[in-house]
Amino acid sequence: MKELPLAGIRVADLSMMWAGPFCTRLLGEMGAEVIKIESPRAWDNVRTLLPQPGAPEPWNTSYYFNDYNRDKKSLTLDLSQPRGKELYLELIARCDCVIENYRADVLDKLGIGWDALRRAKPDIILISMAGFGKTGSEKGFVGFGPIIEQMAGMASTTGYGDDGVPYKTGISYGDPIGGIAAAGAVALALIARRRTGQGAWIDLAQRETMAQMLGPAFAAASLRGAAPVHRGNRDPRFAPQGLYPCLGSDQWVAISARDEREWWALARAIGAPELESLELDVRRARHDELDRRIEAWTRALLPREAAESLQRAGVAAAPVLDCNAIHQDPHLAARGSWVELPQPKMKTWKQPASAWRLVEAQPLPRRHAPLFGEHNREILCGLLGHSERELGELAAAGIIGDAPIGAREG
Amino acid sequence: MGTESEDLPLAGVRVLEIGGGLAAAFATRWLTGFGADVVRSDAGSETLTRDEQAALLASKRRVGVGDARLRELALAADIVVEDGVPGALAARGLDPRALRREKPALVVVSLTPFGQTGPAAHWRASNLVAHAAGGILSLTGVATRAPLQNGGNQAFMLLGLNGASAALTTYFGSLLHGEGDWLDISAQECAAGMLEYYGPRAAFDHTPAVRLGNRVNCLWGIFPVADGFAGVCALQRQAPAFLAMTRDPALADPRFLEPAYRLEHDAEIGELVARWFRDKKKRDLLEMGESNKVPMGAVMTPLDLLGNACLDERGFFDVVNTPAGEARVPGRPYLGLAWRAGALHGPAADTDAVAADWLGARA
Repeated sequence: MKELPLAGIRVADLSMMWAGPFCTRLLGEMGAEVIKIESPRAWDNVRTLLPQPGAPEPWNTSYYFNDYNRDKKSLTLDLSQPRGKELYLELIARCDCVIENYRADVLDKLGIGWDALRRAKPDIILISMAGFGKTGSEKGFVGFGPIIEQMAGMASTTGYGDDGVPYKTGISYGDPIGGIAAAGAVALALIARRRTGQGAWIDLAQRETMAQMLGPAFAAASLRGAAPVHRGNRDPRFAPQGLYPCLGSDQWVAISARDEREWWALARAIGAPELESLELDVRRARHDELDRRIEAWTRALLPREAAESLQRAGVAAAPVLDCNAIHQDPHLAARGSWVELPQPKMKTWKQPASAWRLVEAQPLPRRHAPLFGEHNREILCGLLGHSERELGELAAAGIIGDAPIGAREG
Repeated sequence: MGTESEDLPLAGVRVLEIGGGLAAAFATRWLTGFGADVVRSDAGSETLTRDEQAALLASKRRVGVGDARLRELALAADIVVEDGVPGALAARGLDPRALRREKPALVVVSLTPFGQTGPAAHWRASNLVAHAAGGILSLTGVATRAPLQNGGNQAFMLLGLNGASAALTTYFGSLLHGEGDWLDISAQECAAGMLEYYGPRAAFDHTPAVRLGNRVNCLWGIFPVADGFAGVCALQRQAPAFLAMTRDPALADPRFLEPAYRLEHDAEIGELVARWFRDKKKRDLLEMGESNKVPMGAVMTPLDLLGNACLDERGFFDVVNTPAGEARVPGRPYLGLAWRAGALHGPAADTDAVAADWLGARA
């Protein structure tokens, strides 16, 4: 079988919540060995954020945690205790890369930051993913994904247009954007290390990677002082374009007429051939009226029927897939976009396969997210060579554990 | 190219960008900034707006060549990034599988709305259509209105972002193991794999997700303030700090500290929070958030951010000279490795120079 790109790369993952874990999920998909380090006293909050009702081990039964932490190993280590730090640095000496998404000052306060890492492994790569970076006057801001999209300009560009209100994205968009960028930063630092032999400390501010997603808006703002325009679902280049209601409750189809040919086909499809000859500027001016004509046609159809019919006619269209519909989408099913991974404490469910489809190496998620401390023995005794007796002592001292301290009490 | 600093992490790496769309242009934007010699193949008329060109094309060399020469360039490249429809490369004699057979170290990255295979692979798609198929759109906006697209062509930008990171990862694999790969990345799958907890929850127990507008719950949302809009995103561990920070007697009820109570009285508490926000100013709210370790945000426009001191201190923006003046655009995406700003090149301006550098060919 062909090697995955990151086969042979070992990552120490100190990250929590979503941004960092999304990065390390990508690294795991690409073949890296990812060791997630959590303290029995300070575990990844997502483990217990949305507990399954009645689950005896809520920290091991979160679908949210499981989706973004599969293909990783779990080592518990209390990094606030000297022995925990020693073991952490022993592990770092055998790693290529460390990833953390704490607030800017946390790693150094723990005494396990860049200087300590370099002493343990001179060519280590550290990826820091604080919301606003490690330097600068806003480094102390707390940067969750929804905050990032406000502070990076994203929310200001989204709106219906008639109420003056900027809208947040429906997800904590800043998190996965930072995560995807960080995964690329790992590869870039590995490429650079291969060339120079030097490690690197990447200071990735999640706000800054999010702002990259709006590059053209920054060009417009700087060249013309342009303020964001809320366009709803319209587009400055095409008309008509929008989401149109279909049969059923909250069912929609997205349609774009991107050029004359697509407009002709759309006009015929909705039974309005008399409108075929309208040119773009007229279509723009009469957009509301055209929307009503399109809507009169879509209301009698299911979103998929409307989309398939328009695609056959040569018009850009797709059903708006909600979180249930997306798991039933025949195209994604045909592409093998979902996998079901056996999990010892939960029933299986459809988890997304890797979006980075290496056609030849075919990355496939291999294993469910780790149970809390599941790999303590493998890593401490196997990789680091400590004895079973020491393992017992560490557990007794609360440096490692197989359940978060206090989580049972909720 | 010879003149670039050896410090640039991708100095000497050759990247060919074919297709001309936003996704490929964004994917290679970071590669060129980190030092790769990115060559953009200009096919026909320009598909990017002037603002998109300013943001995404600086320091890329541009060629206008026929298919045979394009194939030679692809085989001289380390990475090819393309965003044509499935089969477009093959139709031009550049089938990724054939290129890979001829040059096993080559990385080919194909970026499409729906991927290379499957019944919808050939569907036509605008940004909105691709966004609709990825799930995020269904969650954005308010439940009483249509779903709402995110600003700035996010389906294609997200596709390009994935393309950049996947290209780097696969190229590193090529250096490590001697073999590249062909990447088939779809906008739909990029989005479908990042639906926060709404996606996994629906997959697990079919719970439908509702569009929550700007208020996920009473302590997580965006609210009108005296000079615009600002927000808070307090999880349970930040809730006490937020409520104490407000110094608002109406929010001092100790029951508000209990998550179950808040959940039951979400609308009522949310109104109190909204009222508290109403007369505050964005900068004051941000400072309160910082000193109380509460995740507070303010809705900033790109224009606001161009004057942001922190971004300036961190050297975030690049200056790009355009026919309309100097554009300031996002520069290096992270600190720690050398980055270069660059100039815009005209369409096909570098055809001869690239042929000479990459192929040793005379014009």
